[in-house]
Amino acid sequence: MRKKLASFMNSKYILIGLSALCLLFIATSFFTDKLTTPLRNAISTVVIPVQRGMNYIGLWISDKYDTLQEISTVLEENKDLQAKVDDLTEENNQLKQDSYELDRLRDLYELDEKYPGYNKVAARVVGTTSGNWYSTFTIDKGSNDGIEKDMNVIAGGGLVGIITEVGPNYAQIKTVIEDNSYVSGMLIDTGDTCIVKGDIELMDTGLIHLSGFANSVTVRNGDKIVTSNISDKYLPGILIGYTKDVTADANNLTQAGYLVPAVDFGHLQEVLIITQKKNS
Amino acid sequence: MKRKIGELILIIFFYLLQVTLGRVIAIGGIKPNLLIILPVLFGFLHGKNEGMYVGFFAGFFYDLFFSGLFGFTSLVFVYIGYCSGIFYQKYEETEMLIPLGLLLAGDFCFGFLSYVGNFLLHNRLNAMYYISRFILPEVVYTLLIAVILYKPVTFLNKHLNPTDKRRISKVD
Repeated sequence: MRKKLASFMNSKYILIGLSALCLLFIATSFFTDKLTTPLRNAISTVVIPVQRGMNYIGLWISDKYDTLQEISTVLEENKDLQAKVDDLTEENNQLKQDSYELDRLRDLYELDEKYPGYNKVAARVVGTTSGNWYSTFTIDKGSNDGIEKDMNVIAGGGLVGIITEVGPNYAQIKTVIEDNSYVSGMLIDTGDTCIVKGDIELMDTGLIHLSGFANSVTVRNGDKIVTSNISDKYLPGILIGYTKDVTADANNLTQAGYLVPAVDFGHLQEVLIITQKKNS
Repeated sequence: MKRKIGELILIIFFYLLQVTLGRVIAIGGIKPNLLIILPVLFGFLHGKNEGMYVGFFAGFFYDLFFSGLFGFTSLVFVYIGYCSGIFYQKYEETEMLIPLGLLLAGDFCFGFLSYVGNFLLHNRLNAMYYISRFILPEVVYTLLIAVILYKPVTFLNKHLNPTDKRRISKVD
């Protein structure tokens, strides 16, 4: 009986101890990240290389899966071509993967040409957040490669987001579609400023909020929105997306609507980081 | 000691699966929450202390590369592990529905608390939308994964600790 009581008390004490420890973590991380940064750096040296490998395996599996699905339809249609299909499958897989990569790299190269004024570093996306609420990405370049906080990130023709955290071999990108993201934008032709704001409730539509246009401004569907020159973190002139359904607000002073992001956030694999910062 | 290290490796493995393969297996943008499965199962299979230990480290990794409040997930997972451990003495490991029920309740509570902390306090009052679009799909997907993982984890649990105290106390 005494033993039972002892073990009972024991686990209660552990519970209280661990709760206190967690609360301490929460309290310190509320004010400073001095405590978490060394922890992250230490663990990232072990975890990030493995993550890089596993991410590659994951993409490989999904590529393979897609290819297999295609092959099964071909088999149904052409039973007499079975033998030939089998022969070509293996070669096909490899070539497909190569060509996907080639396409992506070509796109990146074109983008590189589009914003020639800035120096850029390319990186691979190796992970996302654990939860479903935010779509922060982890990339495989860090302070060792010259990445710093507040650098802008672009991909596939437009703005992805901004670097919020840097470790020796990893960095994190806060994307413009995230719920707590605000970017100052402007119409590319007239320079009228507006605010681009992420919203998780619009996730299924693929749109984000656009607001703060003065009422006198004429905005048509499909107008290009770029980062504005009054933003203190984003470099001016990077394409964010295209306007959609901008209408007058109830106060009749401002206009608001939606924005179609230029970047396909669902299939982001490589990004470019602009190594020049706005304030420097 | 061997057991603790084994569990830690398992947690890191699940964490890596979560952040890398999560994106590939997501349905409608919803990833299953693999890390919450561990404290529930280990609490149920090996008692409160084990559940709390696993919960603490699983939550630690969950929060590690996210710039929000560090330690919140740990706190919730520790309590989930503890609650799960209450049922350790009372049920056999073949009663799979008990841990699944615990997982359902735990994941829902965790999702709801995350919603309160991240959105409700920022004046997002549309709770039904968040529950039906994010929390419930995640719970269902996680339960599905847990059904698949239950046997392997019980096997590992036995393997890590050949002398299970519960089985011995059942004999006398």
